[in-house]
Amino acid sequence: MASPHTEQRTTIGGALPRYNWKMSLTILVVLGLTGWSVWGTEFDLIELLTGAAPAERFVSEMFPPDLSLATLQTTGAGILETFQMSFLGAFIGALVALPLAAIGTEAAPTVGASTGERLLRAIPYHVARFILNVFRSVPDILWALIFVVALGLGPFPGTLALAVHSAGVLGKLYSETLEAVPSRPVEALRATGADGLGAFLFGRLPQAASPFASLSLYQWECNIRSATILGFVGAGGIGQQILISMNLFDYPKVATLVGATIIVVLLVDRFSAAVRRRLVY
Amino acid sequence: MEVSLEKISVTFGKEQAIRDVSLRSEPGEMVAVIGASGAGKSTLFRALTRSVPLSSGSVEIGGRNLYELPKRELKGVRRNIGTIYQAYNLVPQLPAGVNVALGEIGGMGRMDALRTFLTGPGANLTHRVRAALEQVGLGEYAAVRTTNLSGGQQQRVAVARLLVQRPSVVLADEPFAAVDPVTTEKVLETLTSLNGAGATLLVNLHDVEIARRFPRIVALKDGRVAYDGSSEALTEEKLAEIYRGDPQGAEDKPEPSPYPDPARITEGRDGVAAH
Repeated sequence: MASPHTEQRTTIGGALPRYNWKMSLTILVVLGLTGWSVWGTEFDLIELLTGAAPAERFVSEMFPPDLSLATLQTTGAGILETFQMSFLGAFIGALVALPLAAIGTEAAPTVGASTGERLLRAIPYHVARFILNVFRSVPDILWALIFVVALGLGPFPGTLALAVHSAGVLGKLYSETLEAVPSRPVEALRATGADGLGAFLFGRLPQAASPFASLSLYQWECNIRSATILGFVGAGGIGQQILISMNLFDYPKVATLVGATIIVVLLVDRFSAAVRRRLVY
Repeated sequence: MEVSLEKISVTFGKEQAIRDVSLRSEPGEMVAVIGASGAGKSTLFRALTRSVPLSSGSVEIGGRNLYELPKRELKGVRRNIGTIYQAYNLVPQLPAGVNVALGEIGGMGRMDALRTFLTGPGANLTHRVRAALEQVGLGEYAAVRTTNLSGGQQQRVAVARLLVQRPSVVLADEPFAAVDPVTTEKVLETLTSLNGAGATLLVNLHDVEIARRFPRIVALKDGRVAYDGSSEALTEEKLAEIYRGDPQGAEDKPEPSPYPDPARITEGRDGVAAH
């Protein structure tokens, strides 16, 4: 459009709308929720500023970090354990997630199938979806509490907690990926006589494989971060060391442990991102 | 195999894609199906594999009512129907050789499919895959990811898949719409040789010149059969009638207005036309 005519625009429908009632209502709701939450959480910036002195003391007591051989050894062991927990958790989670996701994927039913056949297909679908939802909606720290109570302290219940939660998250993401895959090649296989399993293995799965790898790596990243926390409820990993040192007021050791954790988390993030970038879709 | 459509209708929402179409083809026949885009050609083909629900009528393949078969027997009938599409519809991430081997998928049970998935195609199937790829001139490409092949090469992979499948009915849905003339000739040659081996061949075509090389032409217009007969008897007037109102053959259309009637935009015909 070279030269817009202002007169003509008014005939089309007047000025462009800036605000409508939906937008205004949204803003009101967000503001209302904010105010209510500030009141409910006793959110107070002034208190944060006046509390700066104790916080400063806490931070200054962390320096210099404790770099003695014993502390470094504890840190190394804790980091390794956290790493192992997170990896095994993601791996087992992926193994459990895959079949559940496959069952919990909404694939087009055979055209002209009877109501009975459709119902029969719907049952495993909903069961798989329900299991995945339970796995996912319970946070991993709660799973850790449950497993610690059942199995005692240590990295094993922590790993199980990560595995269960990872299975739930990955299962949901896997099945969404499987559903979003281009359907034409899958339909083409079905049209030449592939059954559900054949169409899944050769049609959906190959098309979803790269996203699966990417999602699993990302879940591993998340697990590294989660595994750090799980130690607070006694489920192993470096968190347990951090908690012990905190309770002993050994802040220089806390500094070393936290610093090491940050470095490892950053390294794994970088590594995982680099691998995911190289995945061929 | 004999293919027979008995008064079928297919409806998508309010849109009637196929209205009351009856069509018979004898075993080993070669039929070109033509018509403007949106005339219902692809929908007709999808009905032939029970991939779209019918609102009325019946489809018989080899004398068996396709829409009333139980699952297992449906698989058996579909196993004998080979398909090839404008958009190739191969699995892009798999090597070309595996896509060719998938011509055999209809003949695999669950255990066979699982074994093939885990350990690759068996020796016999591998041999046939190699031979098929050689025949379409892609002998070197068995291990290449399908997505790395050109469009023409992918269409030849799809043809090689047909060669492995050895179907008794071949449905080709605009197989030449996205490939170069050389590939067109090669694909047509292979399809004709499959027909020579006894397969019934139904080809959807947009290109009337290619359709004229088929002994029988069926034309669809607005979901109805507008012509069914020999290539010679299909006059230019008849053709003009068939393609009237086709947005892509816009010879007799007035210049499209830059401000289309808003009521027309919402008709949503394309959702049907594209398939």
